[in-house]
Amino acid sequence: MPLIIKDEYPEKLFRDDGKRLDGRDKTELRPIKMEVGVVENADGSAYLEWGNNKILAAVYGPREVHPHHLAKPDRGILRVFYRMTTYSVFERKRPAPGRREKEISMVISDCLKPLLFLELYPGSSFEVFIEVLDADGGTRCAATTIAALALADAGIPMKSLVTAVAVGKIDDELVVDLSGIEDKAGQADLPCAITWFNEELSLLQFDGEMDLKQMEKFLSLAKTALSEIYEIQLEALKKKYIDIQEEVSGGNN
Amino acid sequence: MMKIKRVISAIEKNYIIQNLRKEERFDGRGLWEYRDISIKHDVIASAEGSADVSLGKTRIMTGLKYDVGEPFPDMPAEGVCTVMAELLPIASPLFERGPPDEQSIELARVVDRGIRHADCVQTKKLCIEANKAVYILFIDMYVLNYAGNLIDAGGISALTALISSHIPEGKMEDGKLVWTGKYLDGEYIVKELPLVLTYGKIDNMIFLDPSLPEELISDGKISISVTEDKITSIQKSGEATFTFDEINMLAKKSMEIGKQLRKDLNFWQYKVNYE
Repeated sequence: MPLIIKDEYPEKLFRDDGKRLDGRDKTELRPIKMEVGVVENADGSAYLEWGNNKILAAVYGPREVHPHHLAKPDRGILRVFYRMTTYSVFERKRPAPGRREKEISMVISDCLKPLLFLELYPGSSFEVFIEVLDADGGTRCAATTIAALALADAGIPMKSLVTAVAVGKIDDELVVDLSGIEDKAGQADLPCAITWFNEELSLLQFDGEMDLKQMEKFLSLAKTALSEIYEIQLEALKKKYIDIQEEVSGGNN
Repeated sequence: MMKIKRVISAIEKNYIIQNLRKEERFDGRGLWEYRDISIKHDVIASAEGSADVSLGKTRIMTGLKYDVGEPFPDMPAEGVCTVMAELLPIASPLFERGPPDEQSIELARVVDRGIRHADCVQTKKLCIEANKAVYILFIDMYVLNYAGNLIDAGGISALTALISSHIPEGKMEDGKLVWTGKYLDGEYIVKELPLVLTYGKIDNMIFLDPSLPEELISDGKISISVTEDKITSIQKSGEATFTFDEINMLAKKSMEIGKQLRKDLNFWQYKVNYE
């Protein structure tokens, strides 16, 4: 795809035929592809392509805590490091992690903690490293989704998976799964994540304006989208084992 | 999943060394053979050139970004090309977070020098207006899986990223930068194709492309960058010492192997055309 030289916002975010700029309907997701077990060295790993987003996540743990003073004697700790490559965005990002990356790391970490049985791992740490290789809107939701999958791939006991998606408002219409340009030029953005064991929200942020009625609509749109993504997550997780099974049985299964 | 150890056991070490004595490798390779190399180009939509290179299980993803800035005063009509490397903690339990350490700086520097001294990037063509505006290219390498010999994989991925580049062409009109809508491609920017070849040394045995266990028990390494007919940079690292004869032999070997590898990888197939 050729690069846009000017980072300009279009006047309208809907085409004349009522579809969005990338040809999607209002409630349509971008194409999502997930795969687990992609990093040889890691205890668990996952790779995701969500529209133009490309994200790699790897999990190491349980292992010793470095630096040691962070260790908790009564439970394990979960540390999430969300980082972007310098070439993942329009203007080259500085290599050192910025405030945005640190905030998102914290938000994702808080979102994942309720899933784990950290009290069973005193003195140790789980580390989730997320690298955004290519970014086009909604990376924090994509990163959360793929981090959960990497944790599951590492065989770490979890209550359930977590799935995240962003819903938002562009040109006064509510839409699901904002792309990069819709995120920047739109009016509102609501990333949220659901923990499936209790079906509660464990990540929720909002920027923009909405009334109570819209809020309800937002959340119901999100819920439908989340179920759709959850299916893809489960498929990706199962696929690794189906592939192994087929390899073992020589493709006769 | 592969278990990575910081220390190689005496039994495994002896096994590797015994094999080397017989001029064999523990993974079945010959002394002067590379592991399998696979290259994917232009994988990142946001980058102006990119490559995803695997050398055995070692995997490096490189992206090229550009900026327009002022040239250095001593080279007023030449663009700038910089190389950065990051050893992501994703890639290995041996890597830790934080600012670049010696290993990642060495990786970036050796790859950079191989390219810089080889008449590879045509910096004179990266000038928009002398003294005012030149292109600054950033080649950023990210290690995604570490299984030994980052330098050679990095060299190949940096070169592929350059060849797959598509940088918007700009020109100065009345002191303002305007975009012509055309792109500078790899053929325009790149001339020579430098390759860096790394050899490990244990006792008096030397071998190409050390894998991770070999790298961990090596006394030292030597990296030699070569173009079609010249040697452009050498870096010896580690405690090992090399005799004059060994250096001469390795220089000659590097030219031969480099020539063959350049032919096998057929870099120009990774050129990207955008109009």
